[in-house]
Amino acid sequence: MGATIDIRSLTKTFGAGPGAVHAFGPIDLTIESGSFVSLLGPSGCGKSTLMLMIAGLLDATRGDVFFDDAKVDGPRTDIGIMFQDNTLVPWRTVEGNVALQLELRGLDPRDYADRIRDLLRSVKLDGFQHRHPYELSGGMQQRAAFCQALVHEPDTLLFDEPLGKLDAMTRESIRTDLQALWMQKRPTVVFVTHSIEEAVQLSSTVCVVTPRPGRIERRIDIDLPWPRDLEVKASARFTQYVREIQGIFHDYGVL
Amino acid sequence: MTMVSSSMPPEPGMAARAAAWLAMALRASWPFAAFFIGFFLVWEYSVAIFKIPGYILPTPSQIVSNGWADIPRLLDYTLITGAESLIGYLLAICIGVPVGLAIAFWKPLQRTVYPFLVSLEMVPKIAFAPLFIAWLGFGLLPKVIIVVLVCFFPVALNAIHAFGSLSDELTRFCRSTGAGPLRTFWKVRLPAALPQCFVGFKYAALNATVGATIAEFMGSDQGLGFYIQIATGNMRPDLAFAGIFFLTLLGLALFGAVSLAEKLLIPWHITLRRH
Ligand SMILES: Nc1ncnc2c1ncn2[C@@H]1O[C@H](COP(=O)(O)OP(=O)(O)O)[C@@H](O)[C@H]1O
Ligand SMILES: [Mg+2]
Repeated sequence: MGATIDIRSLTKTFGAGPGAVHAFGPIDLTIESGSFVSLLGPSGCGKSTLMLMIAGLLDATRGDVFFDDAKVDGPRTDIGIMFQDNTLVPWRTVEGNVALQLELRGLDPRDYADRIRDLLRSVKLDGFQHRHPYELSGGMQQRAAFCQALVHEPDTLLFDEPLGKLDAMTRESIRTDLQALWMQKRPTVVFVTHSIEEAVQLSSTVCVVTPRPGRIERRIDIDLPWPRDLEVKASARFTQYVREIQGIFHDYGVL
Repeated sequence: MTMVSSSMPPEPGMAARAAAWLAMALRASWPFAAFFIGFFLVWEYSVAIFKIPGYILPTPSQIVSNGWADIPRLLDYTLITGAESLIGYLLAICIGVPVGLAIAFWKPLQRTVYPFLVSLEMVPKIAFAPLFIAWLGFGLLPKVIIVVLVCFFPVALNAIHAFGSLSDELTRFCRSTGAGPLRTFWKVRLPAALPQCFVGFKYAALNATVGATIAEFMGSDQGLGFYIQIATGNMRPDLAFAGIFFLTLLGLALFGAVSLAEKLLIPWHITLRRH
C-alpha cells in the first residue's frame, strides 16, 4: 500500500511585491494510505501547483508535505507521476519511452521486459510498442504515458488531468483501467481533475478546490460500491454526489 | 540538380517504387525544371540578340566550354576552397557547441558572455577579414579563422537556445526519477536539443563557403575566390562564372552533407516535421 501524505499549512505564492500571485493555501489535508483522492476544481485554482509540491518538484512558500512522516524536501523518486502534458519523447518508441523511466533510474529495461509487455497489454497497446508517439492517437499516447508513469512499480501515484484532452469514449475506457489498477494494488492516488463525474466515479474522497487563492472548500467521502461501473453511475446516489458538488461550485460562482 | 540532391538513394529491390517516385517527382517539379532550362535559354539567346560583348556577359555555353578547358585548375581550387570551408566549419562546430552548452547550463555566463555574443552577432564578421589577412598572411590559417568566425555564431546561438529550452514537464520528469545531470543529459537533454542544433549547423553550412570566398578575395594566391577575382580582373567573366558554378557545387555539397547527417542522426525529427 502507498504512503500516507500529510499536507500541513501548505501555501504557494509566485513572485513577490505587487505582482505576486497567491496561487493557493494555506491547505491542510491528509491523504490516507491506499486512498484515491481527487483534487477537483476549475482551471487556475492551483491544482497542478499543489501536485508538484507534493512530488517535491516545487518549493512551498510556507508549510510542509510529509510522506509517512518523512518531510518532502526534494523530488520524491518513489512515486509515479503523470503530468498535465505527457512526457513521451519523440525520438523513442512507445516501449522506449516506458523504458526511459527505468533508464533514468539506472535500471536495466531488459530486466523489466515482461513488466513492460504486461503493462502495454493491460492498456491495449500491444502491437504498438515499436511505434513512435506521433504515430499514435491522443488516447494511445496517454495510455503510453500511463505505462511510463507506472513501470517502476510506485505505490503512490500523482495524476494531473491525465484524461483532460481525450474524447469521452477514450476517457471512459481509461477510467475503467485506472480503477481496476487501483482496486487491485491499492496505491495511494492523488488525482487532479476538473470533471465532477470523473472525480465522483473514481475517488474514495473528493477534495473540492475553489480558486483565488486555491482552498480545499470541502472534503467529501464518496460512499459508493466498487467497481463504479455504468450501473453505479446511473444510480441516484451517484447523481446526488454530483449535484452536491455542482452546488458548491454554483455557490462559489464558478458554475 | 535540386531534384536529384533532395532524393534518397533507392533501397535495393525497390526499383518499381523508385520509378514511381521518380515519375511523381517529375510531375511535381516539371514547372521548376522547365523554368530552369528556360532561364538559361533566354540568357543564351539574349546575349546574341542584344549583342552583349563576351567580356561583359558570357553565354552559358561559353561558360561551359571555357570552364571545361580550365577544368584541372578549377578542380584544384575547388579542393582548396573546400578544405578551408570544411576545416573552418568543423572547428566552428567543435567550439560553438561546447560554448553554447556552457552558456545554457551556467548562469554566470548567461549574464556575461551571452550578451557579449549577442552584441558581437550584430557586427558583420566579414569586416574582420582584412585584419586577419594582415595579421596572419596569405596562407590557409586566416581563411579558416574567417570561416570559423562566420560559422561560429549561428552554431553557438542555436546551441544555447537548444540546450536551454527543455520543457518544464520533461525537466520535472527527469528530476522525479532521481537521474543525475549526466544521465539526464545523455538520455533526454541532448536528443531533445539536436533538432535546434541542426538549424544552426545548416545555417552555418551556408555561411562557410561565403566566408572562405571573401577571405580569398582579400588576399590569396589560390582557391576559387582568388580565381573569380583574377578572372574578373582579366575581363574573363566566363571563367568567373565557371568559378561561381564550382562554389555553388561546394556549398550544395556541404549543405547536403549536413542534411544527410541530420537525417541519419535524428530521423524521428524529419518524420515529425512531415506530420
Ligand atoms: N510559474 C508560475 N509563475 C507565476 N504564476 C504561476 C506559475 N505557475 C502557476 N501560476 C499561477 O498559479 C495559479 C494556479 O496555477 P495551476 O496550479 O496551474 O492551476 P490549475 O492546475 O488548477 O489549473 C494560476 O493563477 C497560475 O497563473
Ligand atoms: Mg493544471
